[in-house]
Amino acid sequence: MLWRKIFVSIMITFSFFFVYGCQKYRDATDLQILHVAVPAGPITLNPLFARDAISLEAASLLHPQLLGTNPNSLEVEPRLFASWELQADNQTYLLSLREGLRWSDGTPLTANDVAFTLLLICHADYTGWLYPQLSFIDGADEYRKTRHSPYAQGAIPGIRVIDEHTIAIRLKQVHAPFLSYLTFPPLPAHKLQNVKVAEMEAHHNLRNVAVGAGPYLLTAWRPDEFLHVRANPDYYLGEPAIAEIFYRFIPNIEAQVIELLAGKLDLLPTAVKVEDVEMLAADRQIRVHKNNRLVYDYIAINQKKENTPLKDRRVRQALAMLLDKEELVANLLLGYAEVLHGPLLPIHFAYDSDFSQDKGSLPAARKLLLQAGYPQIKLKMIINSGNIVRENVALLFREQAAQVGIDVQIHALEWEAFLAALTNGDYDLAILGRGTDADPDLSYHWHSLGAGNRTAYANEQVDRLLEEGAAVRDREMRTELYRQSQALIVADVPIIWLYTRLAIHAASADLQGFVAHPESLFYNVHLWSLVGREERP
Amino acid sequence: MRLLLNRLGQTAIVLFGVTVVTFFMMHSAPGHPLQANPELRLDPTAVERWLELQELDGPLPAQYISWLSRMFRGDFGMSLIYSRPVKELALERLPATLLLTVPAFLLALGLAIICGTWAALRQGGFADRLLGLGTLAGLSLPSFWLGIILMMLFSYGYPWLPAAGMRTAEDSSVSDILTHLILPLTMLIVGSFSYYVRYVRYAVSDVLSQDFIRIARARGFTEIYIVFRHVLPNASLPIVTVAALSLPLLFTGALVAEYVFSWPGIGRWIIISTMARDYPVIMAVNLSTAALVALSNLLADLLYLLIDPRLRIKA
Repeated sequence: MLWRKIFVSIMITFSFFFVYGCQKYRDATDLQILHVAVPAGPITLNPLFARDAISLEAASLLHPQLLGTNPNSLEVEPRLFASWELQADNQTYLLSLREGLRWSDGTPLTANDVAFTLLLICHADYTGWLYPQLSFIDGADEYRKTRHSPYAQGAIPGIRVIDEHTIAIRLKQVHAPFLSYLTFPPLPAHKLQNVKVAEMEAHHNLRNVAVGAGPYLLTAWRPDEFLHVRANPDYYLGEPAIAEIFYRFIPNIEAQVIELLAGKLDLLPTAVKVEDVEMLAADRQIRVHKNNRLVYDYIAINQKKENTPLKDRRVRQALAMLLDKEELVANLLLGYAEVLHGPLLPIHFAYDSDFSQDKGSLPAARKLLLQAGYPQIKLKMIINSGNIVRENVALLFREQAAQVGIDVQIHALEWEAFLAALTNGDYDLAILGRGTDADPDLSYHWHSLGAGNRTAYANEQVDRLLEEGAAVRDREMRTELYRQSQALIVADVPIIWLYTRLAIHAASADLQGFVAHPESLFYNVHLWSLVGREERP
Repeated sequence: MRLLLNRLGQTAIVLFGVTVVTFFMMHSAPGHPLQANPELRLDPTAVERWLELQELDGPLPAQYISWLSRMFRGDFGMSLIYSRPVKELALERLPATLLLTVPAFLLALGLAIICGTWAALRQGGFADRLLGLGTLAGLSLPSFWLGIILMMLFSYGYPWLPAAGMRTAEDSSVSDILTHLILPLTMLIVGSFSYYVRYVRYAVSDVLSQDFIRIARARGFTEIYIVFRHVLPNASLPIVTVAALSLPLLFTGALVAEYVFSWPGIGRWIIISTMARDYPVIMAVNLSTAALVALSNLLADLLYLLIDPRLRIKA
C-alpha cells in the first residue's frame, strides 16, 4: 500500500513539472519591452562611484549626462548642457543648461546641482575615479587637499554659478580636451547635500536612485537577476519609445546566445564572441552590430631591470618586428580588430591610417640584435591565464622569437599573481590591455608626468608636443601635434602595439535606432524602438 | 548532555581557528578589492583614501580583533564591493539557493532510497544492472556538461524551457518560476541521485544478507513488512551520515548549476566575492560554512542516537 502511495505521489509531482515544462512559457517578447543581457550585474547604480563598465552602463539608463559624445567623431555633443562658449582667455567655459529641466520628483535641475556635483568629485573623501579629470579646474587641487567639511560644501575659485541655468568653469591652464571630461551626470543636491561625502558611496538614495532625471526610472533591482526600468515620461529629450527594459544578468555566455536565438533576449551588447558572429549573422531575426572601441592590447616591455638588454632600443626594435599583426588579427580575431602601430586609435580624430611601423623581417631583427651585441637573449613573458587570445599571441611571439635567438619563457599567471608580478617588475614582457580617452590627448599614458604613465616613459620632446597639443584649440594643429608625438613615441619602442578589438553586439532585428557607440551602450536610448511589437495592454 | 557540551566546545575552537586562518591567509594574498578587477577605473589617490575609509590600512591583528568584536555583536560588516551589509546580501540570495537545493536534495535522496532499495532487493536483475549503469553514467558526466546538454536540448533544440534566470519578471507566477527551475533541478538531481543511490543499495544489501532477515522471512512476514520494519531502519545509519554531510551544501549553493543556468543564488555571489577579495564576505562565508559543517556532524550523531537504541545506551 505504502509503496503505491509513494509511487503515485512521485508521479504526480513529476507530471506537474512536465505539464508546466511543456507549456511554452509566456513570450514576453511580443511587447514593447527590451531584454538586454550582460554577463554580470551592476555593483552600484551610483554613477559617480561606479568603477566597472556594467555599473556605469546601468546607471546611464537612470542618469542623464551633462555632455555627450558623438559615436563617430567622439566630438562633444549637447546634452543637459545645451550650449557652451569659451571666453576670450581660452580658459573659462560658460556652460548653459537647457530650460525646464526637472528631477523625477519635480524639483528643478539647476546649475546648483552641477556645482554640487563638481564639488563632490573634488572633495577629499571622494573615492571614485573622476577627480583627475577635474583637477584642471582652477583651485580644485587646493580644495581637495584642504578638507574643510565632511560635506560637499565650500567653494572652488574656478567654479561659479552665474544663474539658475549657467555655470562658469575656469581652468588653471588652457586644456583643449576638458569638455570631453564632462560626460558624467549631475546628482540631485536637494537630496544629497546633507550626506557626508565619505558616506555617499554606500548611500541608499544613490543605490536605489530614488530621484533621477534619466531616460528611465528604476522599477526593481533584483541582485544577480535583473534590473527593471520603465520609461521616464518627463525625460527632457522626449519619452522613450520602449516602455520597459529588463537588463538581465546572465554569466553564462552560451545561455545568452541560446536565449537570443530563442527570441527571449533582444540585445547582447559588446561581449559577443568572434566565433559566434557567423552563426548569429545567418539568423534572419538577428542583426550583428560592430564598432571601434577605446581600448587596445599591447606587449609591455620592462626596462627597469638592471643590465636588461631591453634598455637597448635596437633590441626593442627587433622585438617589435617579430609579429605579423595582420595575420594575427585575421586568424586569431577573425578580422574583428584593427592592427595598431601606435597609441592613436582609429576612432581618434588625429588618427593617421597611413602611419605604420617598419614591418621589418626576421633577418633584419636578427641583424639589429647582433648590432646591439645580444646574439642570445632569455626573456620572461607573463600573461593572465584564461585569456585565450593573449595566450595564443604569446605562443606566436615565442615561436617567432626563437628564430632570431631569443628564448621567450611564457608564464601564464592567475590575475592577482599577474598583477603582483607587474607591480614588482618581475617580468621582461607582459601582454596587457588598456583603455584610452575619447580625446586624442596622449598625456595620460605618455607625458613624463602622466598619471597613467606606468612605464615611466620620458621624452622631453614628446612632453612639449603634448603640452602644446592640449593648449591649442585648432583641431588641425592638434592633429599635427599628436601625430608628431606618436611618431616620436613609436620610434622609442616603449611598448609593442598589437590591435584594437571591435565591440560586437547582437540584436533582435526588431530593434531599431540602436547605434553602436564606443563609450555608451544606451546612446540615445530614447530613440530606440521595437518595431512590430505591441504596447503593453 | 556532557557529550553534547564537549562537542560544542570543540566546535567553538575549530571555528575560531577557521577565522584566524582565513583572515590572515586572505590578507596575505596580493592585492585588495579595488585591484582585483583589471577593468576598474581608478584614481590612485582616491584608492588610498578609500582604503583609509574602509579601515584597511591598519595593522592586520588590529583589523582582525575589530572584526571579531563586531562579529560577536552579530555584525558581519559591510561588503567592500557592494557597500552593503554582508548579512543583507546573503539573505537576499539564500531563498533562491534553497529553492534550488532543498527540492534537489529531497528528490534525489527520496528517489535514491526507493531505487536503491529496489535494486538491492533484486540484486543482479535487469533493474539493478540498469541502475548500476545509470548511476555510473550519472557520476561520470561532468555536471557542467550535462547542464549545457540539457540547455541545448530543451532551450534551443526544443525551445520549451528558459536557459537562464529564476523568473521572467518581478511579478512572475509560480508556474513561471517552476519552469525556470526544471533544468537546473534536473542537473542537480542527476548528480546527487547517482551518489546517494550507491550508498543506499550497498547499505540495504548489507542488511539483507544478515541472519535476522532470513529469520524474519522464515517466520513468514511479507516482504514489504520486512523492508520497512527491519531493513530500512538498520540500513539508515550510513544513509543518514551521507545525507547529513551534504546539508552544508544546501546553503553554500550549487555553484555549477547557478553559473550554467544563471540562477541568482548564493554560490555565484560567493565566487564573485572571493575573486574580488571582498574580505568581510569571505570571512562571513567561511565562518558560516564551517559552523554548518560542524552542526550537521553534530546532527548526524544525534540522529544516530535516535535511530539506534544501542548507541543510546553506550552514550
